[in-house]
Amino acid sequence: MTASPKLFEIAPAPLTTLRVETLSTQPRRKTRLVGEVLALAILFAFSFEAACRVEDWVQFRTPIFALERSQLDLLVRDTLGMHGRPGGRFQKWSLNAFGMRGPDVSLVKPPHVLRVVTAGASETFGLYESPGNEYPRQLEDTLNARLADHRVACGEWHAQVLNAAMPGMSLPTIDQDIRLRVRPLNPDFVVLYATPAGYLDDAVPVAARPASAARDGSRLPRSNAVFPRVADRIRTQLKTILPTALQDRIRRREISVTLARHPRDWRFDAVPLERLKTFEADLRQAVGSIRSTGAIPVLMTHANRFVGSADSDMATLRMWEKFYPRASGRTIVAFDSAARLTTVAVARDSQAVLVDLAPTLARSHEGVFADYAHFTDLGAALAAGTASSSIIAASGEQSGHPWTTSALCRKQLVSTPTPAR
Amino acid sequence: MLFNSVIFLFAFLPVTYVVFWTLRSANSRYLWLTVTGYVFYGYWNWRFCFLMAFSTLVSYSAGLGFLRWDDDPRLRKLCLWLPIVVDLSLLGFFKYANFAMGTVRGFAQWFGTDVNVPHLSIILPIGISFYTFHTISYIVDSYRRVIRPTRNFFEFAAYVSLFSQLIAGPIVRFRQIEEDLARIGTHDRHRWLWRGVSFFIVGLVEKVIIADTLAAFVDPALANYATLSTLGAWLVMLGYSFQIYFDFSGYSSMAVGLGYLFGLRIPQNFNSPYKALDPSDFWRRWHISLSSCLRDYVYIPLGGNRRGDIRAYYNLIVTMLIGGLWHGANWTFVVWGAYHGLLLAVHRRFAVQWDSLPRVLKQPLMFLLVLLGWVFFRSADFTMAVSILHTMFTPTLGGIVAQPQFVVVALSIAAWWSMIGPNVFEMRPAFTFRQRAIATVAFAVSLALIMGTRNSPFLYFQF
Repeated sequence: MTASPKLFEIAPAPLTTLRVETLSTQPRRKTRLVGEVLALAILFAFSFEAACRVEDWVQFRTPIFALERSQLDLLVRDTLGMHGRPGGRFQKWSLNAFGMRGPDVSLVKPPHVLRVVTAGASETFGLYESPGNEYPRQLEDTLNARLADHRVACGEWHAQVLNAAMPGMSLPTIDQDIRLRVRPLNPDFVVLYATPAGYLDDAVPVAARPASAARDGSRLPRSNAVFPRVADRIRTQLKTILPTALQDRIRRREISVTLARHPRDWRFDAVPLERLKTFEADLRQAVGSIRSTGAIPVLMTHANRFVGSADSDMATLRMWEKFYPRASGRTIVAFDSAARLTTVAVARDSQAVLVDLAPTLARSHEGVFADYAHFTDLGAALAAGTASSSIIAASGEQSGHPWTTSALCRKQLVSTPTPAR
Repeated sequence: MLFNSVIFLFAFLPVTYVVFWTLRSANSRYLWLTVTGYVFYGYWNWRFCFLMAFSTLVSYSAGLGFLRWDDDPRLRKLCLWLPIVVDLSLLGFFKYANFAMGTVRGFAQWFGTDVNVPHLSIILPIGISFYTFHTISYIVDSYRRVIRPTRNFFEFAAYVSLFSQLIAGPIVRFRQIEEDLARIGTHDRHRWLWRGVSFFIVGLVEKVIIADTLAAFVDPALANYATLSTLGAWLVMLGYSFQIYFDFSGYSSMAVGLGYLFGLRIPQNFNSPYKALDPSDFWRRWHISLSSCLRDYVYIPLGGNRRGDIRAYYNLIVTMLIGGLWHGANWTFVVWGAYHGLLLAVHRRFAVQWDSLPRVLKQPLMFLLVLLGWVFFRSADFTMAVSILHTMFTPTLGGIVAQPQFVVVALSIAAWWSMIGPNVFEMRPAFTFRQRAIATVAFAVSLALIMGTRNSPFLYFQF
């Protein structure tokens, strides 16, 4: 830098070169103007849509003419019940040939592979995490790192985690999915992270019965390929640009409208014990189903941002309440806590591996939840780390599996620190 | 609120624009620009509006002081130093308090003593460095009688809180838009509209299409910098060099465009800096508003080049050190500033030899020197900087980048535009159908990306 003022001379841009175009009022000019505006509008719409599709392809390899129009299209109901659509692609969500989020795998488990299936709902499927950072993917990475640590004693083993979860999957549906779809995959572990709040819905959750029609019946219409993808982006933007207070107000109104349609005693103002018992029965049933596949059941207690923390973010709690208007926000949180105790009891009774995630996340820093119960990348990492410790330690306690034939290996695995147990 | 956000594009800007041109008097327009500036700023955190209002009041009062005590040098000095001390104290507290205490702690540990220096929980107000420089430049220029301070509070408040330049510059000096502010709203609205829109769209393309695309591979790669290979490290730093340019230049182009929409000519902040042939040339092209401020308010008062070569080298390095520190409270920024100060000093010493090199060598060499500086600028600490530099200059195996085919395409486009192509001021906007069609496509593509998953803030917000 020198002191010469010329070096940094700043002059406003000359405006004299601007061309000014005045609009004639003559009809021909008007027609031309309307034509130009129309042409530009069409060009805008086409470019907008094309850019959305190209971006989806570049970022997520979503085919330009994919048939999925929304996240709902990732779900399919066929002879195997309700589960992820094989090969489904929508935005960052990409399902493999088995309809499970993640890379493709073979039906037959390769040798020296520890196969883990994660079952659950949206928390397990992964909503807010960046692609590849949902908890099952991080679980696979963590398990592989830990298996590498035990390579000398246990031999060369790799972990393969299959994410069988789908948003909205109830425990009975998960149970059915384990029996019909997961069993042929011959998993070594099935990690179950059920959503207890589903039991606060209007009716008790039941399994989505398999459709009697063949798989072809669940095909998406070809016309979906040209459905404008901008629609979903615009809808998402409209949701997010509304101020939080206004969004909260809208949710309160929706809850009020739902409540007004029902009698007063419809609402759960305290933990409904019969629902909790149903949850327990369904959980025991699911553990039995997991055992019937030959896998070791791993039960994770459900975590949310309100348990064990002073977080009194009512707007976030109301987001949860909106999904289950039959229960007040406090009841949902209380039910979640009660379900945690139930899960601990079921794990103890059925000798399943317990991953007590709720207190682990409650002790952690802020930023583990993106909303009331869904993980951020960090939250998913903590869940994966906690689950992997328990799985590795549990491996050592089993003697019937090929990866733990060596006594030294078992001893090493058992001594793995398990903070959550 | 970001320029590249839906709420800005479809709510804030249209309302601000329509109401502005509906208003009749200059005062109502100043008031409207002030109100919108505070809404724009408060959308991030309304509490910090009070800080900006306080800074505005202090500087405005100083301006009145200069008018009242025109012949009293003692009081004029008081009106100069008091508000500068207040403004710099605020900046120092919010931006540098923890840095200073951390440095004290570090030095104490270095000497074997453990000093218990607390870490304050301070949120850095967005754009504080920018509006502090706005107010300080106003005070100093008033003192030097370069400008005549305004008596109109709303005119001054509109200048400080003008949303287009508020949080990431350019650092517009009062004298640069004084004339436009005085004639506010008297311009032909239609005449300025297309120019403003074209600048804004070019800026949007720079930011959303180029910078954010590069960020998509640069940021994850730098988050795992220890795993990079030599080729990967060079690609990533190349990507970051273009990312920071298009990010900041894009913001500045949008700011200039927004200024035009309201009849205000905001000066050029980037003049194709990667076309620079030497360090001095680079700083005449990069963040022009900051480098000219540093020249006028630091380098020249230090003595500039009037006291011999040695003193000039010293002044250059001190000026750039301050420039580095302005960018952030971290020693990596200080080293970045010192590095550029050193480049300027060495170039000054060996200008004849450097200038004798062919142009085809000078431009890439200068770019390479700038790129090496960005390693310190981007690194969170010296461990990261040294690790990246080590990887760049020692053959290392490791990761390259994800999707290398897209990276190469993005880098090629960015390199062509920044090193060969025209900058926004060199483009000639005309109201032809072809240009409108191009602008329409560019806006649509940018909007699709904004509405996608890449709504990212501007890098210079942190400064």
